[in-house]
Amino acid sequence: MLEARSVSVVAGSKRLIDNVSLTITPGRLTAVIGPNGAGKSTLLRVMAGELKPSEGTVFLDDTDLLKVPVARLAARRSVVAQSTTLSFPFTVLEVVMLGATVPGFGIRDSAAADAAREALDAVGLAEFETRMLNELSGGERQRVHIARALCQLATAPPSQAGTAAILLDEPTASLDLKHQCDVLALIKAQAEMGRAVMLVIHDLNLAAAFADEIVLMAAGRIAGKGKPDDLLNEDLLSHTFGCRLRVVSSEDGGRLVLPSAITGKAIMGAAAE
Amino acid sequence: MTAIDARFAKVAGAVRPARAKVFLALTGLLLLSAILSLAIGPTGVSLQSLPRALAAAAGYAADSSAERDRLVLIDLRLPRTLLAAFVGAALATSGAMMQGLFRNPLADPGLIGVSSGAALAAIATIVLGHGIAAPLIAPLGIYALPIAAFFGGLITTITLVAIAARRGRLAVGTLLLAGIALGALAGSLGGFLAYASDDRDLRDLTLWSMGSLSGASWQKVFAVLPFAAAICLAVPHLVRGLNGFLLGESEAMHLGIDTERTKRITIATTAAAVGAAVAVAGVIGFVGLVAPHVMRLLSGPDHRVVLPGSAILGATLVIVADIIARMAIRPAELPIGIVLALVGAPVFLHLVLRRGIGGGE
Amino acid sequence: MGVATRRFAIAGAALALAGFLTELGFDRSRAVAADAAEVRILSLGGDVTEILYALGQEQKIVAVDTTSQFPASALTDKKSVGYLRALSAEGVLSMNPTLIIASEQAGPPEVVKAIKGSGVQYIDIAEKQTAESVPEKVRRIGEVVGAASEAQTLASKIEADFASLESDRKQIKDRKKVLFVLAVQNGRATVGGVGTGADAVLQLAGADNAAAGVNGYKPVSDEQLAEFSPDAVVVMSRGTADRHGASTALELPGLSQTPAAKTKNLIEMDSLYLLGFGPRAPSAAHDLMKALYPEPGQTAATP
Repeated sequence: MLEARSVSVVAGSKRLIDNVSLTITPGRLTAVIGPNGAGKSTLLRVMAGELKPSEGTVFLDDTDLLKVPVARLAARRSVVAQSTTLSFPFTVLEVVMLGATVPGFGIRDSAAADAAREALDAVGLAEFETRMLNELSGGERQRVHIARALCQLATAPPSQAGTAAILLDEPTASLDLKHQCDVLALIKAQAEMGRAVMLVIHDLNLAAAFADEIVLMAAGRIAGKGKPDDLLNEDLLSHTFGCRLRVVSSEDGGRLVLPSAITGKAIMGAAAE
Repeated sequence: MTAIDARFAKVAGAVRPARAKVFLALTGLLLLSAILSLAIGPTGVSLQSLPRALAAAAGYAADSSAERDRLVLIDLRLPRTLLAAFVGAALATSGAMMQGLFRNPLADPGLIGVSSGAALAAIATIVLGHGIAAPLIAPLGIYALPIAAFFGGLITTITLVAIAARRGRLAVGTLLLAGIALGALAGSLGGFLAYASDDRDLRDLTLWSMGSLSGASWQKVFAVLPFAAAICLAVPHLVRGLNGFLLGESEAMHLGIDTERTKRITIATTAAAVGAAVAVAGVIGFVGLVAPHVMRLLSGPDHRVVLPGSAILGATLVIVADIIARMAIRPAELPIGIVLALVGAPVFLHLVLRRGIGGGE
Repeated sequence: MGVATRRFAIAGAALALAGFLTELGFDRSRAVAADAAEVRILSLGGDVTEILYALGQEQKIVAVDTTSQFPASALTDKKSVGYLRALSAEGVLSMNPTLIIASEQAGPPEVVKAIKGSGVQYIDIAEKQTAESVPEKVRRIGEVVGAASEAQTLASKIEADFASLESDRKQIKDRKKVLFVLAVQNGRATVGGVGTGADAVLQLAGADNAAAGVNGYKPVSDEQLAEFSPDAVVVMSRGTADRHGASTALELPGLSQTPAAKTKNLIEMDSLYLLGFGPRAPSAAHDLMKALYPEPGQTAATP
C-alpha cells in the first residue's frame, strides 16, 4: 500500500538514499536493517511523507504521497520516532490523546479518551493513564508513544480510514531485553491485525525473529531483501557491516548473527557448560 | 512504604480537575474582577451611580454630578476595564502560543521581536517627535505613539519571518535566534535614541516601558476590537497544531498537522495581539509567562485548555493589577508593570515551588 | 489541612480582598463632598506651584504633582497626584478640582484630553526657560486665580531683578567658561549642553557654557571633559546625601588638570532653585553670578 519507486534523497553532494524501491504491504512486518548512516531513517522519513525525495516518488495506493493532504495522510499512517521528548508535563493519557483528532476545547473528549484508553490497554499500560510521562521508564515511554500512534489511526474519521501503515524508527533502541521483546511483540501483533508495518532496527536477531521480510541497506542503497532465513547470510552481512560476522545455529533451531569476536568466546562458554 | 505514599500522591496530583469546572471558575473570577474594576476608583463613584450615568450618557440628565458619574464610569473605568481585559488576554494567549511553538516554558510573547520593535518605534516617537520627525508624527496627535508602536512591532515581525523563511518553510530554531538578534539590535538602536534624548524623554521612556492603562479611551477600545476578533478566530485553528508541536515538529506533521500553516498563523496572531497590546498599554511583562503556567498547573499542557484558559486568566490578572495600580497610591497611579511583578512574582514563585515547574521528560 | 478547609480559607481571603477594595472605593465619597463655591486648584508643575505659593494662593491648592518640590511644604501639606507626565484621569478628578493649572509638560496626552473633557477649567502654562517667560507665567497664573494685582507686583519685581542682573552681567569683563555637571555616575559626568535650563542659567549668570558643543544633558568622556577646560564647575546639591556624586566632579581624571580643579572652583546649588525658572530665577542666577565672580573688580557693585 505504501510504495517507494526509485527514490533518492540528495543533500549537498551526498546521496543519503540512492534509487531505492520498497513496498510495505498490509499484514506484513518489514524490518529495515543496515549499518549506521546507511539511510534507514532517511528512507523512513521519505516513506512517512515528511521528507520530499529529490528523485522518485512514494505512492500511497497509487497516489503521490506529496499530494495527499497531511490530515488525510495521518488517517492512513502513523509514525513512532526514534526519541520523542515532551517539553511540558503530560499525563500518559494526555500524550496518547494527542494522537486523536478531536474538535472543540476538550470539555467533551470522552470518545477520544476511550480510544486512547483502548490503545493504552493494547500496549499493556492500562493502569498508567494518570501517571506523568516523565516518571515512566524508557520502555514504558516508548510504549506510550506506540499507543499514541495507534490512537491516531483508531480515531481517524471513517471517511478517510483505510488500511493503515505504522512506521517505527528504532523503537527498541534504549530498551532492555524484556522490553525489546514486549515492544516488538506488540508491533508484530499490529501487522497480524492487517496493518502494514515498517520497522527500522539495529538488532539483526530481533529483526530476524519478528519480521516477515528484511531489507538490508548499505550506503543509501538496498543491499539485499528477503525472508529472514534467506538474508542471514554470513558473507552478505559481513560485507555490508564491514566486520566479520558469523551465523550460529542455536539448539532450538533458531539462527543467531554474532560478531566473530564474541562467537569464539560464546562457543567456548557453551562448551564449558 | 513512604515511597509508595509519595507515588500515590503524585498519581493523585496528576489527575486534572474537570475542564468545564475550571472554565466556569475562571470565567466567574473574570466577571467578578471586571465588576470590581467598574465599581472601584479614586473618585469613589460606585456602581450605584450606574443608572444615573447611563441616563446621562443617553442625554437625559443635565445634572452636573450625573455628568461626572457618566464620565468616570462610562468614559474612564469601562474602557479601562475592557482594555485591561484585552491586553491581559492578548499577552497571555500569545505567551502560551510562543511557549508551545518553541517548546520552551520560558518563551516570552515578545520573542518574535514584536515588543522590541514596538519599543524602538515608541522611543523614536518620544525622542524624535518634537524634533526631526515632528512633521510625520504631529498630524497623528495623541495617537502617534500607539500607532508607531504597533507598526514598529509589525515591521520587526515581518523582517524576522523573512529571515527565518527558507524555501517556503519557517525554521523554528532560526526564528528563535533571529528574534533574539533582532531584539538586541532594536535594543541598541533604542539605546542610541535614548542617549540622544533629554531627561524628560528618558522619564517618558521609562514610564512607557513599565506599562499603564491610564490612557484608556473608547477610541483605543474600538481600535483593538479587530485584533481581539482575530485572536478569537485564530485560536480554535491553532490548538491542535500547537499540541502537535509539543511532541516536535516532525511528530506534528506525522499527526496530520499542517506545520507551516500552524507556524504562520501563530506568528501572525502573536504579532497582531502583542503589537496591539503594547500599542495601547506600553510594555507589560509577566502576564504572558504566568497565566499559561498557572493554566498548565491547573489543567495540564493541552492547548485546548491552555489557550482559552490563559486568555481568561490573563484578562483577570491585568484587571486586578490595574485596580491595585490606580488605588494603591491614589490619587497618583502606579505603573501596572510594577504591580504585576510585585504581586505576581511571589505568588508565581510559590506555585512553582509547591507544584514543580514543567521540565522535559 | 483538608481540601474543604482550604477552600474556605481561599473564599474568605477573596471576600476580605473584595471588601477591602470596595472600602477603598467608597471611603473617598465622603471626602469629595466639597463646597460648591470653593475654589479648588490642582497645581501641576514645579514652577506653577512655586508661583501659586508666591502669590499667596496656597490655601486654594488641593493637590500638587511630585515635581512641586518648592516650597517643601507643598508636597507634605497637599495631596500628590503623582508624576507630572504620568497622571491618572480618575485620580485627578478624585481631588474634585475646580481649576487645574498645568505645565504644558503634563501628560500622558490621552489623560490630559480626558481631564479637559470633564469640564473642569484647565489652564496650560507654557514652558520656556528664558528670563521673559517667568513674569509671563506669573501674570497668566495671577489672572486665572483672581490675584492679578499681586501677580503684577511679583512680575514687575522679577522683571526688575532680571534687569539688574542684566546690568551686572554687562560689567563682567572676563567671562568665565563654566561646566554644568548634573550627575557623576560610574566615573562619568553628565553635563548640561545647549538647550538645557542649565545653559540658560549660565547665560543669565554671565558665563559661557563650556559644554556648548553638547546637545541636552549627556554623559561625556574624560577626554571630552579635559577638552572643555572649564574655569568653574557647577553641580547640583541634593541635601546631605549626595546621591549623584556630583560633588566629586573635580576628582574626575578629565577635570583634574582644568583651571576649575586648580582653583578648586566648584559651585554647589540647589537644583530646583537654579533650574526651576520660577519667581526665584533672577535671584538664583544672581547667586550663581556672585559665586562665579566673587572679586569686586569683576562685577560692578550694585548701587
